Amino acid sequence: MRALQIRRTQPNKKKRIVYFIILSVGLVVASLLYLYSKTYAKSMRVGIPMTPYALESILIRALPHLAGMLVSALVIACVSLAFQTSTGSRILTPSMVGFDSVFIGTQTFLVFFLGASAKIFANSYTNFFVTAGVMVAISMLMYGAILRNSKNNVIFLLLFGLILSGIIRSASSYLQKIMDVNDYYQLQAATAVTINNMNIKLIYAVAPIMLVLCSIMLIRHRTYDVLALGEANAKNLGVHFQKEINFNLILISIGMSLCTALIGSLTFLGLLAVNIARELFKTHRHSILFIASSLAAALALVFGQGITELLQGAVPITVIIDVVGCSYMFYLILKENKKI
Amino acid sequence: MIEIRNIVQSYGRNRVLDDVSLTIEDRSITALIGANGAGKSTLLGVASRLLPVISGCVLLDGIDLRDIKTREIAKAIAVLKQTQSIAVRVTVSELVEFGRFPHCGGRLKQVDKDKIEESINFMDLDDIRDKYIDELSGGQRQRAFIAMILAQDTRYIFLDEPLNNLDIKYSVEMMKIIKRLVRDLNKTIIIVLHDINFAAAYADYIVAMKDGKITNRGRVKDMVTCDVLNNVFDHKFNIIEHHGRRICLYYGSRKFHKSEKMLDKRGMGRQIHMQKCLHHFSKHEVSKAKMKKVLEHHLSAYMHKHKKHDYINKMEQREIRTREHVH
Repeated sequence: MRALQIRRTQPNKKKRIVYFIILSVGLVVASLLYLYSKTYAKSMRVGIPMTPYALESILIRALPHLAGMLVSALVIACVSLAFQTSTGSRILTPSMVGFDSVFIGTQTFLVFFLGASAKIFANSYTNFFVTAGVMVAISMLMYGAILRNSKNNVIFLLLFGLILSGIIRSASSYLQKIMDVNDYYQLQAATAVTINNMNIKLIYAVAPIMLVLCSIMLIRHRTYDVLALGEANAKNLGVHFQKEINFNLILISIGMSLCTALIGSLTFLGLLAVNIARELFKTHRHSILFIASSLAAALALVFGQGITELLQGAVPITVIIDVVGCSYMFYLILKENKKI
Repeated sequence: MIEIRNIVQSYGRNRVLDDVSLTIEDRSITALIGANGAGKSTLLGVASRLLPVISGCVLLDGIDLRDIKTREIAKAIAVLKQTQSIAVRVTVSELVEFGRFPHCGGRLKQVDKDKIEESINFMDLDDIRDKYIDELSGGQRQRAFIAMILAQDTRYIFLDEPLNNLDIKYSVEMMKIIKRLVRDLNKTIIIVLHDINFAAAYADYIVAMKDGKITNRGRVKDMVTCDVLNNVFDHKFNIIEHHGRRICLYYGSRKFHKSEKMLDKRGMGRQIHMQKCLHHFSKHEVSKAKMKKVLEHHLSAYMHKHKKHDYINKMEQREIRTREHVH
């Protein structure tokens, strides 16, 4: 019986290793493609030969950019997976239920009430910590209350997120209209970050925190496995469910505020990455899923960015990811509906 | 031993449990019965730490559950809720592995692996161990979850309506397994049951609840009586004994209730036979002579057997009535 069982699980394991290799090689290739498109492709296009000096000066800017993308992809993937496990759904991700609009709202409120020259806002570090703190508080309050009362109610959470982000967006756009023009420009610089104009200054401060965050999640992968079984089963197996969910929400809030501050919002990347990982690896084990979805997210982001650079930014990467992710979400929702 | 003391539990203004105290006997099956909303599931949830205790306390071997680490409780008390649809896709053996989580935190040692094999074999799941949970039938799925709880290796097992959505065959199978758990593995089982007949057939003790209070509790013999059940369920029960087992009839047929008095004092079988005759007459065109013959035959047999005048009178009246009816 043992032997039979081993034989049965063996091909699955081999498959997983192959997928891991494909994803990692793909990621390396994508990174090289990105760097190539930033340097040689550009120089060829412009018609100026690449000198070692120019190469160096470009790389100095491009490498942190690449690192920022990798690290953000990692965080987005981990945070999305953790959020999906906490809510017990395959469709929701934090940005979908309005985590990143909370970020923008917090920034706007800070600037509006304290002014852009206030130390809290002007200093990227204090700004970040205040924002993250506020986000943690808000998400704990709102999602804590809602997750507790409507467990597994995906539609309700989605609706709640929609309304929340709607309110916050319109409130902040109203505040932005009536605020001081200088403040407004400062605010724009802080909130209108995308992959192309990443907040490079933040990278060195934020990347270590992000890495720590992800490793905390990765270390606790066994707890996530149990949490995924649902509240009653997790409690039965001796996991302090509410405490874990709250802790998770804190991690998620920190992660989302970090990401949104660094590269702006990428609504569908998390969804895409986590579900690609689930489809490929067909496992419930979070140790595998965390790594696989991080790889998938990084691959999608860097590869997409490399392509857009090659195409001279004809189509922004966020648009590509949103289109693909959005259609995938439709597919998921339709599939879930069929099941019911 | 698990002791529940003065539990008060409410959802909003609604008092679900009202000062409930209960001691659970070790190595036995205790069935919680009662109408919908009587508080059975809530009591089970509170006693098994799924629901937080608001007022009162639950003692495990004399220690308050709130003073024990949740991981430690999970080694002593296992609980299975009634709805078992899980969001993740796991195979049977992976699910059973989860049962060892309180002991090893997910890192399986040889002891844990042995325990997993043991519970898979006990629940007879070996041939479907690599199937995914969502591919299984209701009975198999229920068995897989019980196997997980067995792997958890606890003394106490709480089951919340484990027979929900199971057909008769699987229900009986499940109850037999539960019986075996007590007999072979010395478990103590507390179970919420909807079907009173399953409780009567398999439980050792029955705890009856109504409106958030325990109305009666005791051994099956003392509990499965018309008085107790009529009160608990607000419904008329007929109880018959078949090979020493009590069976409750609660299917609200008018005929049963009309003849209730007779049934209590005399056997049930004859009554049913009479009714069958009447039914037969009303359905088919039977000649009057034949009908009379059959009825008289029954009546004489009855008279011969019991020689009780009041019954004879009743039967005669009944016969006359039936004749009138047929005419």
